[in-house]
Amino acid sequence: MKMTPAMTMAQENMQPGVITEEGFLGDETIPVVDMIARDEGEMRDAGLSFVDTAKRLAYFMEEGQKGLGEPVTIDDKWLIRVVDPRGQLPCPFKDGFFHKMTAQITRKETNESVVVTDLSIHLLREHHFIEGKGSRFRLEPQVMKRVLFD
Amino acid sequence: MMIIIAPGAVALIAAILAAAISIVDKVVNNYGEVELDINDGKKKIKLDGGESLLSSLAGQEIFVPSACGGRGTCGACKCQVTSDVGPYLPTETPFMTKENLADNIRLACQVKIKSDISIKIPDELFNIKKYDSIVKSIVDVTHDIKEVTFDLQGEEINFEAGKYVQLVVPPHGKIKGSTQRAYSMASKPGEKDIVRLLIRLVPGGIATTWVHTELKEGDRVELVGPFGDFFRTPTDTTMVCVAGGSGMAPFMSILFDMLDTGELDREVWYFFGARTVKDMFYLDELRELEKKMPNFHFVPALSEPEEGTPWDGATGLITDVLDKYLKEEIGTDKKREGYLCGSPGMINACNNVFTANKVSLDDIFYDKF
Repeated sequence: MKMTPAMTMAQENMQPGVITEEGFLGDETIPVVDMIARDEGEMRDAGLSFVDTAKRLAYFMEEGQKGLGEPVTIDDKWLIRVVDPRGQLPCPFKDGFFHKMTAQITRKETNESVVVTDLSIHLLREHHFIEGKGSRFRLEPQVMKRVLFD
Repeated sequence: MMIIIAPGAVALIAAILAAAISIVDKVVNNYGEVELDINDGKKKIKLDGGESLLSSLAGQEIFVPSACGGRGTCGACKCQVTSDVGPYLPTETPFMTKENLADNIRLACQVKIKSDISIKIPDELFNIKKYDSIVKSIVDVTHDIKEVTFDLQGEEINFEAGKYVQLVVPPHGKIKGSTQRAYSMASKPGEKDIVRLLIRLVPGGIATTWVHTELKEGDRVELVGPFGDFFRTPTDTTMVCVAGGSGMAPFMSILFDMLDTGELDREVWYFFGARTVKDMFYLDELRELEKKMPNFHFVPALSEPEEGTPWDGATGLITDVLDKYLKEEIGTDKKREGYLCGSPGMINACNNVFTANKVSLDDIFYDKF
């Protein structure tokens, strides 16, 4: 798939040391458009829509904030801890700044977790980008399916 | 044949252009020697232009707080620039308030020194040093909080209880550059030869993951500090302190400093919130302190106590416990000061409880991380 100038700029911003120390690409070197196309397929295979998944993540983020930094149990099934480190991160696609708020969402019965940030929710919802494989904050579709949904 | 040659030709042209840009950059962007004037001539430094203000200051052993390695994402390195250094960059404006813009406050990491420049920084920054320490001990105080003690190897650190240092995380694994993170000191000002920090594992956090998985006793680690505006007032006003998790650190420093300096009569309430018993720590030390300081009251509270695990302390969200005690135990008939260490959300929630109980925002203190 062809990389547009905007995608090329975003991929440059996703490199290690530009916006974050590790970048957003993990171990991958393929073009971002190809990564997005592949991950749209993985989301589809997992039966997840980008809009509903983003809404679900935002819900957990909001509920987790009620713990004021301590973990909080939601609906008896999830343990959420939200931490709010100092600062903001720009989106690599240059369409906004996001607080570094991070939520760890753990399914209590399996102890499996998803770690999500305000920026990664935005990237998922607006750009269908869930970070490269091997990235610390990649939102793996099958893991999200197991952890976030009934 | 053309299919093979064309990409090679494009790559060659790109390489030539890149080399040309590099050469032009070195020639055109050679700013020569410039003068950095700090605090209206208090200090004048000659240095080579072309570097950021943050790194230029660090090169002169003047350390402005920074937590993101100069990428403009933490907003910590604000300082006032009193000469013209050009317009604000898009990377700066998200961190600036109206007051900041009016005062020409800039992010030191985003301002490139191209000509003579004048800045104003707090005098305290001249006292900040870089310490080459050795990890003396690492103790698990809970399942996700480590108490790490650093030996300053003969150097001394002078600070007021409540201040913080920046831990310099070296390159490791996929992390190619060094990273700095701020942590409040749990050690007392009287312990000048060590620094003790409480470091809680943050999901996905570079620094805390490194501390929890790679740092070991005997390792050499750089610390920079002390920083911060969080310390107790020199009055006898009732102190109401609130923390959770590693927010315990500055209060251990403040409370045990009060014991050391004989400040025993001041009324102090300390509310500490955790989720379950396994998240609680230092209970014995703080109960002992209650015996030595007659006007010190420690109120630990669990937000989700587990069935079957004994707990005879308060229960509920720490803000609810604080509200109850402000109304029923501490009272509103005397002046009180709030001292907070936690996330912005926790601080906002506590501020609401304090103000609802007639504590003025001017009397509530915390580091604005």
